[in-house]
Amino acid sequence: MAARSSLAIASSEAATAPSVPRAAARDEVLELVGITKSFGSLTAVADVSLAVRAGEVLCLLGENGAGKSTLCNMIFGVYRPTTGLMHLVGAPYAPADPKTALEAGVGMVHQHFSVVPSMSVVDNLLLGRSRGVLKRTAFADEIEARAAEFGLKVDPWRIVKEMSVGERQRLEIVKCLMARPRLLLLDEPTAVLPPEEIGSFLDVCRRIADSGGALILVTHKLAEVAKIADRTAILRSGRIVDTVPMRGANMKSIVQDMIGRELGAADAAVGLDLAETGERVGSTARVASENPGATAFAAAATPESARSRSADALQIDALSYRDRNGALRLNEITIQVRPGEIIGVAGVEGNGQTELGLILAGIERPSSGRWFVGDHEMTDATPRQITAAGVGIVPEDRHAVGAVVDMTVADNLCLQNLKHYVRFGLVRRSAMTAAAEDLIGRYDVRGAGPQTRFASLSGGNQQKVVLARELTLDPLTVLIAAQPTRGLDVGAVETVYGHIRSACKRGAGVLLISSELDELIAVSHRIAVIYRGRIMGELPALPSNREAIGALMSGNAA
Amino acid sequence: MSSTSTFAARSGIRIPAPALVIPLVAIVASFAVGFALMDVTGSSISDAIAAFAQGAFGSPYAIGTSLNRAIALGLVGLGFILAERANLINVGGEGQIAMGGIFATAVALYGGVAGLPFGLSVLLPVLAGTLAAAAWGALAGLMKIRFGTNEVISTLLLNFIALLLVYWSVQSVHLLRQPATFAGTLPQSLSVPDSTELPLLTGDPSDPIHIGAVVAIILAIITAIVLRRSAFGLKLKAIGLNPLASRRAGIRTNLLTVLVLGLSGAFGGLAGTMMLLGNQDYLTAGFSSGYGFDGLVVGLLSRGSVLGVVAVAIFFGFLRSGGISMQIAAHVPAALVTIVQGIIVVAIAGSAILIDRTSRRA
Repeated sequence: MAARSSLAIASSEAATAPSVPRAAARDEVLELVGITKSFGSLTAVADVSLAVRAGEVLCLLGENGAGKSTLCNMIFGVYRPTTGLMHLVGAPYAPADPKTALEAGVGMVHQHFSVVPSMSVVDNLLLGRSRGVLKRTAFADEIEARAAEFGLKVDPWRIVKEMSVGERQRLEIVKCLMARPRLLLLDEPTAVLPPEEIGSFLDVCRRIADSGGALILVTHKLAEVAKIADRTAILRSGRIVDTVPMRGANMKSIVQDMIGRELGAADAAVGLDLAETGERVGSTARVASENPGATAFAAAATPESARSRSADALQIDALSYRDRNGALRLNEITIQVRPGEIIGVAGVEGNGQTELGLILAGIERPSSGRWFVGDHEMTDATPRQITAAGVGIVPEDRHAVGAVVDMTVADNLCLQNLKHYVRFGLVRRSAMTAAAEDLIGRYDVRGAGPQTRFASLSGGNQQKVVLARELTLDPLTVLIAAQPTRGLDVGAVETVYGHIRSACKRGAGVLLISSELDELIAVSHRIAVIYRGRIMGELPALPSNREAIGALMSGNAA
Repeated sequence: MSSTSTFAARSGIRIPAPALVIPLVAIVASFAVGFALMDVTGSSISDAIAAFAQGAFGSPYAIGTSLNRAIALGLVGLGFILAERANLINVGGEGQIAMGGIFATAVALYGGVAGLPFGLSVLLPVLAGTLAAAAWGALAGLMKIRFGTNEVISTLLLNFIALLLVYWSVQSVHLLRQPATFAGTLPQSLSVPDSTELPLLTGDPSDPIHIGAVVAIILAIITAIVLRRSAFGLKLKAIGLNPLASRRAGIRTNLLTVLVLGLSGAFGGLAGTMMLLGNQDYLTAGFSSGYGFDGLVVGLLSRGSVLGVVAVAIFFGFLRSGGISMQIAAHVPAALVTIVQGIIVVAIAGSAILIDRTSRRA
């Protein structure tokens, strides 16, 4: 039995021996020419041409749905390109399935691990590789030797479920390395890692590249890109916007490329919002010019009427949260929202927004810190008490948390305040149907009657049902909306914005958590930027602050 | 399980034609297979059929006995579908029957209730057994919300504990065992006083169907209303379909989980008290004799519908009576009777899938 410190990283001088089959220097390991992938009418990847060289780390950067994963899956043989050509070390390459890709020397580490938790490391790596009598000991030595080449220490006899997430991921990488790949694809490898393990993971990537392998790393975290990438390809809506070498690259322009899209036809809704908020932006500017000493922050942070600090609708005070693996997901978050104010929480996904939303919905408990609605502490409140305090919640995950999708629209609309529709313990269906019909009309839920199954509605109409339920709370003191426009079409997005604004006009404090910066700038008064579980800063929601907010989102202090 | 309950929700009580034809064909076919098996193993088919008919519905006494069996099975089945609505599987019927039996016996014998007026002499033992079994069921609910123990595991294992409690109760003279007057005294309780036994519907001992039939029918109607019309039923359904969203919507999911498993247990306990005070009148090891597991099958085959529970319970009641008679009168091996019952269960379950397919195609 080897030491228990299984997959820890050994000292750097151990990682020298280059053993990945090396293509001729400067030669391209993989070349993509005009790759396009369509699913029905949707084009996920459009005309992508790209090359990766041996010894190079290429980062694929882009927002959700930009086509990063689809591109990787084509290289790994999961999908076949609709049009376009691929070359692997100069030869035509068209993998029919992942098995062919592996045989050709292309490995991939998926976001979700594919190891058997109750088995040992050696047994996991033997899976699919073993025939006849198992030679465990010999193979265990081989694993250790192979891992050591890249500065990884592996205990082949350790049971996988006893290992941390980071260790498991390194195991996945070792699993790929056993096949001596020319090219390694890593799909959002850091999304599952706690922040403190990311650094050592990136070191391993660098060692693999230094030993002559080519790496494609998919991510939307800018800090990682800055640290590890030799070159970065930025994808937006399935197209490569730019490919930049990282030496001397301007991070700000990369941020701009990734999030700063033009307000074209596709973003009509956002454009409308900018026009609508123009007046407010103008008045802010005027205040700032009238009071040259006052910062723009102070001007924008003062909404329509003056209020005292104790009058916060929502006050989040030094809230921290550790997940089950002990990783710190929220680090002393402090945010105040006043009545009639919309505070946006900006950030690249996976920086703690989901956890924040779950805590405020009463589903998770914070590890430390407190939060209040008005004067009432809500830190240990149940979802029922939170609703009773007048907090409307539009959850990030509509299907898991927002609604019971297999029940009817009426059931979903009335579940929260069922007692209004009950007499002597029996549900008054007629009253429920009438109330549902009224809400369906007022919130413009299309293609649905009270008895329609919730699951059969389109995403936008589902969201309208959730909004209808949450916004009709009486009184509505706070609205917490997490990613409320995700997956919605332009028209529905506009409706959702309208409802959020009207809640704000009625005096509710709104916390809007979103990864769409344009949306936040258009709708909110102030924007707090979250990065690795911390609030990096708070800025007025002005288009002119876009770059500063982007910098905060990538972890650079303003 | 969720597909089962959604099916029930969609179909309601409106039964499409194939839903009647297919199970009938399945039952006839499985009887045919059963009799063929008997023939192969050397039993006389005509004797077996005669014994089955005689035992199941050959006399008012046979019919009464069959219906009394159906009452116990139906009550366990009702409890099962209640919990199933919240996507909770209560396989603890056997143990809940046992708890019902123990406490009904204890109160009937030693609770000083025998002389009480207004039917209290019956009501109090019934109540005691029902509450004990409710606690037994709720225990599984508590373990689920506190430690995340799967209720299938906990209710199943609680069965064994309860069955051993029965065994202990009737073995120890300090508990419920009858006083040992001679060496051959059986390990069982005394017979409960006549005043604590369930009144017969007709008052005529040759027709043994007891008051439990009325209670069971009333409870079936109440259960149907609760599941279809009540706020409680709607909340159970919501929890069953999506516990997280239900919690978010302010439903007390933990409380309801404990409550509905307790309620489910209460139905099993009530069945136990009725078996004891209605038929057997003394407690003995193995008195539950598989009714809990048969009741579970009743609940499963009914697919979440109260009407289904009633129909399947009555069918199984007659089947059990006929099967016992086949063993005694026609000397068909007990194992063979069990095999035939098993084939019927598989056939009905299989026909359910066929019904789903045909109705989906329609």
